[in-house]
Amino acid sequence: MTLAYPSQRVARPYFVVAVLLFVLQVALGVWLALSYAVTMPQWLVDALPFSTTRAMHTNLLVLWLLLGFMGSVYYMLPEESERDLHSPALAYLQLALLAGTGVAALVGFVLGWSKGKPLLEIPRPLDLLIVLGALIFLFNVGMTMLRSRRRTVIMGSLLGGLVFLAAMYLFNLPFYRNLSIDWYYWWWVIHLWVEGAWELVAAALTAWLLIRITGVPRETVEKWLYVELGLFLFTGIAGTGHHYYWLGAPKYWLWVGGIFSALEPLPIVLMLVDALRFIRERRVEPRSRLVLTFAIGMAVLHLLGAGVWGFIHTLPAINYYTHGSQVTTAHGHIAFFGAYVLLNLMFFYYAIPKLRGIAAFDERRGSFAFWWLSLTMVAMTTAFGAAGMLQVYIERVMGLGYMTAQAQMRFWFWIVTVLGVALLAGAVLMVVDLFTLKPAREPEGRTA
Amino acid sequence: MTVKTAKWIFYFGTISSAILFLALTWDTHNEVAALTHADKLSEEVIAGKHVFQKYNCNDCHTILGFGSYYGPDLTTVYQRRGEARVRTAILTPERVTTWRKMAHKPLSEMELADLLAFFRWVGQIDTHDWPPQDRQVRLRAAAAAQPGSGAEPAGGALGASGPVQGRDLHTAARRALAAGIGTGAELFREKGCFDCHRINQVGGDEGPDLTRVGARLTAERIDSLLVNPASVNPRAEMEAPGLSAAERTELVRFLSGLSGGGNQQ
Repeated sequence: MTLAYPSQRVARPYFVVAVLLFVLQVALGVWLALSYAVTMPQWLVDALPFSTTRAMHTNLLVLWLLLGFMGSVYYMLPEESERDLHSPALAYLQLALLAGTGVAALVGFVLGWSKGKPLLEIPRPLDLLIVLGALIFLFNVGMTMLRSRRRTVIMGSLLGGLVFLAAMYLFNLPFYRNLSIDWYYWWWVIHLWVEGAWELVAAALTAWLLIRITGVPRETVEKWLYVELGLFLFTGIAGTGHHYYWLGAPKYWLWVGGIFSALEPLPIVLMLVDALRFIRERRVEPRSRLVLTFAIGMAVLHLLGAGVWGFIHTLPAINYYTHGSQVTTAHGHIAFFGAYVLLNLMFFYYAIPKLRGIAAFDERRGSFAFWWLSLTMVAMTTAFGAAGMLQVYIERVMGLGYMTAQAQMRFWFWIVTVLGVALLAGAVLMVVDLFTLKPAREPEGRTA
Repeated sequence: MTVKTAKWIFYFGTISSAILFLALTWDTHNEVAALTHADKLSEEVIAGKHVFQKYNCNDCHTILGFGSYYGPDLTTVYQRRGEARVRTAILTPERVTTWRKMAHKPLSEMELADLLAFFRWVGQIDTHDWPPQDRQVRLRAAAAAQPGSGAEPAGGALGASGPVQGRDLHTAARRALAAGIGTGAELFREKGCFDCHRINQVGGDEGPDLTRVGARLTAERIDSLLVNPASVNPRAEMEAPGLSAAERTELVRFLSGLSGGGNQQ
């Protein structure tokens, strides 16, 4: 079994870098959880402050997810556009540039080189390198599409999402004098990425994969893709308002943010329904049951994390108390995991066997790792949520001090730490599995 | 559903939402100056914002509720804690933290002044009464509960300088308590005891609540505690406040009078 297009091979190093950064991200997360639970000695805090590790944890998340997306796009685009990539060399250059910038940023954080804006700490010179990397990517993808005669909805969604993504990053570049305006546009990057641009890319990748593994006709999948994207953007764009409740913006944002974000679970429900329907009506038996499990697990946890958990603290009357507490942390973890981490891992499990020329692989370890990771993440979210409820009640409702609440929350941070270690073990297991996939022994009576 | 309908949903959904969002963004820009008192956005405040970003404060603390959750929210820190306390926390974090530490950051005296100006400005942004622990209803109740504050809420001892509003109530609540009672109370305020201790729900929470300290400790014990905290409580994290004998006498008189009676909410 060979690849349909040789240039698809560039995806492999992207996947390798992405999963290694994933493991590092989780490892740093364990350290962060431990910092909440125990008393770190002053000298250690001075040498490696929480803020540094936190910047690394969140930037690694963004970097590895983006590299995963890029690798996935480079893998699927030749098949979708029915021609090889415009320039594999540029793709390798882009990876070297982005990975190099990432490493420089991590070292910089340790040395105290930071723009000081959460999740967007990368200093401006490195920002420009990231923009350059994104432009190379856009150019390569755009040229490949341009030279292909095919025009599909999936390609449109993909290109639209990538342009949107790059454009929003520009709002991160200026220095804003007014803190309220600063946060206003900070959300244009963060919110419009994860509830706009990234959803476009993710929906395109998911639709493409579902066509591949279920054999459901493209027309059906693409029709529903239009509806999903329409609902995502309708609720997501104006839904940015749910971040504008308390930052010094006019009061109408409480209404706009509240109403639109109350609708935000709708497209995610539709996505789950569509995925389940396509899988039920599948016309071919997928080579990998595991990829199918990922597809369902992703849709379910996307709904649970981004949809349900987001919804329960998005209404202004609730958000007044939960804003900026551990409830937000709980939501952030499960939402990123359900929407984007599982999507990337699913794609890796789909593409890596093909890149290595394995028709069907032994799925037992990968399947175990999937369940281990997913259940651990759900449990961890619950623990963050419990800490959050305590914080909301003690600090915000009763008005006792911040540290009084933190003292009561310590127990739950111990739980998070233990679960973090478990999550790390699961991540390591999955990465090892991805690197060492073995062909399955010929199954009895399986049609493949 | 036909493909045509699906496309229509996509275009209508995207464009209508984007138009609404951009229109409100335009309007927000017109109103934000008043809501954030942008006229008070001095060069000092802006320099303070640079300092805030330079030392990556936001990756431990939230501000306006955004950022990391490792330390307390800083939106109202200037008004809640007072300038002296914020200064102490930044210069000597080990003096204000207990079991969760804050890193030392090498701020220059000028950077510190700018940062304080920044915090002071941020605390005046109209956040629709967020954070809830500092909401007006609570602050007024705390100020009114102080002895000597008179029958009117937030009036009386708060002084004749007009009605106290906003987060200045934090300061007002402390002053009301002090001015209504006498020298010992005034010393309690002046020496920054409120930074760590609470009386009637006003003050910090690193140290024990002193609302009923007079009922718990004798005057002699309080006196020796003020000379050497560890002599009364070997695990005390408080440093000896360094008072003169006369100051100590006044402070002991004030503290032993605190029995919590009648002043509870």
